[in-house]
Amino acid sequence: MSSQQDALDHLRVIRSLMEKAHIYRSISAPAALVGGGLAVALALAGNKVADILNCTIWDGFLISWLAVLAITSALNVFLLSREARLRGQPLVSEGMRMALRAILPPLLVGGVIGIGLILYLHHLALGALIWIVCYGLALLATASFSPRSLLRLGWLFVITGLIFFWGLAARGHLELLPSDLRIASFVMGFSFGLLHICYGAAVLLRKKPAPISAE
Amino acid sequence: MIDFDQIDKTIHEKARLSIMTLLASRGEWAFQDLKAELGMSDGNLITHLRILSAAGFVKEDRDDSGTRPRTTYHITESGKTAFQRYVDVLEKIVKAMKP
Repeated sequence: MSSQQDALDHLRVIRSLMEKAHIYRSISAPAALVGGGLAVALALAGNKVADILNCTIWDGFLISWLAVLAITSALNVFLLSREARLRGQPLVSEGMRMALRAILPPLLVGGVIGIGLILYLHHLALGALIWIVCYGLALLATASFSPRSLLRLGWLFVITGLIFFWGLAARGHLELLPSDLRIASFVMGFSFGLLHICYGAAVLLRKKPAPISAE
Repeated sequence: MIDFDQIDKTIHEKARLSIMTLLASRGEWAFQDLKAELGMSDGNLITHLRILSAAGFVKEDRDDSGTRPRTTYHITESGKTAFQRYVDVLEKIVKAMKP
């Protein structure tokens, strides 16, 4: 050991690599922007979807939002695989396995209960709120290895879902409405649309740190 | 007073220190993942992994059951102890030399 500077330099390498080893971004920023844009567009389209698909508003709501989910997920996987290829890593890395293990339980619970509420109980708004809160919980479940931006997004989803739920529950007239499609579209557009757009823009605009090489 | 001989010479090399740090921070690592994360060449990485294996700090596992053989590495108990001791010594040095 030649000096204190040498020791500090080695400690810095250890700290940086430990942070890098623990961080995995499961949502690509461009995918978040595209998904957010689609969600806003679908929320604005509202009840036109059921007319176009020639089905009930519940089926139309479910089919259209599941289509947005499928498109965005496919794009996200494509972008993550491209990033992994550029780094010379496989798509299904240890980081992705950790992320899947963390997010699957809340997504499964939220997905099944949300679809059940919409399909069988015809509660669009409650179904949407379950999706929003469980999606937020899924992001928070990755807290030990996700970047801070994803955790903030998770908290925003959870808080948004709870605020909307409290607002709807306090007003108590949801049952009297002929349809809660507009409310459901609004909360979906606000959360899955605007929040994802803000997240994607923030990540893309942020300056990236220089990589560390061991050689 | 710091005894500089306490510094583990096997770990006290930037490439090997980086390998040990990654292995100490997260379970097992595939060879390709280590290579990509550290930006090292195949030959360079293998050389350092062999030195760490010879010291008993790292263990290699080879899986030939799939279509392509997959080699993974993980840190051993003695590797964990040595790495922790190394970090402790570095911290002592930094603290001792603070004005």
